[in-house]
Amino acid sequence: MIQIKQFSYVPGEHESEAASSSYLMSLIAIIVGLPLPIVNLIATLIFYLGNRKSTYFVRWHCTQALLSQLSMLFINSIAFWWSITIILNEEVISNNYIAYLFVVIVFNLTEFITTIYSAIQTRKGIHVEWWFYGALTNLICKDKS
Amino acid sequence: MKKILAQGSIIILLFLGAWFGLNQIDWVKIFKVEKITNKTEEKLGEFFLETFENSEEEIQNIHLLNSIDTIVNHICSSNNIDRESIKFHVFNNPEINAFALPDGHLIINSGLILNSDNQEELIGVICHEIAHIELNHVMKKLIKEVGLSTLISMTTGNSGAVILKETAGMLSSSAFDRTLEKDADLKAVEYLINANLNPEPFANFLYKLSDNEHEASEYLTWISTHPDSKERAEYVLEHSKNQSIYYESVLSSSTWEKMKIELNE
Repeated sequence: MIQIKQFSYVPGEHESEAASSSYLMSLIAIIVGLPLPIVNLIATLIFYLGNRKSTYFVRWHCTQALLSQLSMLFINSIAFWWSITIILNEEVISNNYIAYLFVVIVFNLTEFITTIYSAIQTRKGIHVEWWFYGALTNLICKDKS
Repeated sequence: MKKILAQGSIIILLFLGAWFGLNQIDWVKIFKVEKITNKTEEKLGEFFLETFENSEEEIQNIHLLNSIDTIVNHICSSNNIDRESIKFHVFNNPEINAFALPDGHLIINSGLILNSDNQEELIGVICHEIAHIELNHVMKKLIKEVGLSTLISMTTGNSGAVILKETAGMLSSSAFDRTLEKDADLKAVEYLINANLNPEPFANFLYKLSDNEHEASEYLTWISTHPDSKERAEYVLEHSKNQSIYYESVLSSSTWEKMKIELNE
């Protein structure tokens, strides 16, 4: 699920702090923004935009955090609007809905734990790559130097 | 790139697989969802009915009630509607009105029966209200207008009598939104055709009452709360066309006349 890999260079103290903050940003926003699924994405996006000219290590982790938030936004938005239609009585609570909520909770929890772990590791200057998201980040985020 | 696509596909499959797997469990039964929802609606229905019973006189004439019961039975049996889910009440009120309350309570005013030129007109309006009940429009409207929290507080007894009375007034004197009204009209036409009843008099009723010159216009609550009656009459007629079936009557003409005479007394 998460792999510790050797980064192309050893990040400095300042870089580790910024990279770790990119993960922390989404965590804080989750607490503030619940149940609105868009808030944590906006927080991560702002942090990403603020650091897009930063060093490679910081940019890389900001991108990974942003990509994971994007996919979460997609499944969380469906859950959010599905719930709204039920509250407005347009739809009824079905097995399909409850099953979807359970899967969304499991995926969110997994992402939450992975984010905490990544925040801790990157703070120590350790480079962590998530399954799928790590490879996708490598594709998007290139070392400019 | 291939690796990324494969990994992405695995995540999507994992998500869909877990969803499909969990979908096989009857969560609605485990969490008793239906029981909770039905109880709220049942209580709301009782509260609203009580409000109307306190302010208006409910007609207990056996012949009249049996005749309406025959009509409702006929509509329900022809359309596979659970007869137990529709509970009609006739109130002594000159307003030409009929409306649905939560939990399948259907209120019919004596004014509507007296101002219907024939039984098909009355049956058309009853079908329209049954459609609102069957399509769950009543609870949808209540939640939209009053809010879920207020509704729940009503059933737990924390709500004031004023809110209850205001909400009851809203249910009897304001229409559903345009789409819901059209849905109920078209469903009513479907019910009528399935019951071998002519939908045309229902359209005529809409036409007739939309005319302001009508002698009973001061009591036209049902039509004044249901806008665009002419347009509605037109699409009711449109959907009744090309139905080459033999139409019948639910009540004999003598029973229908007797109903009106008894109401006039």
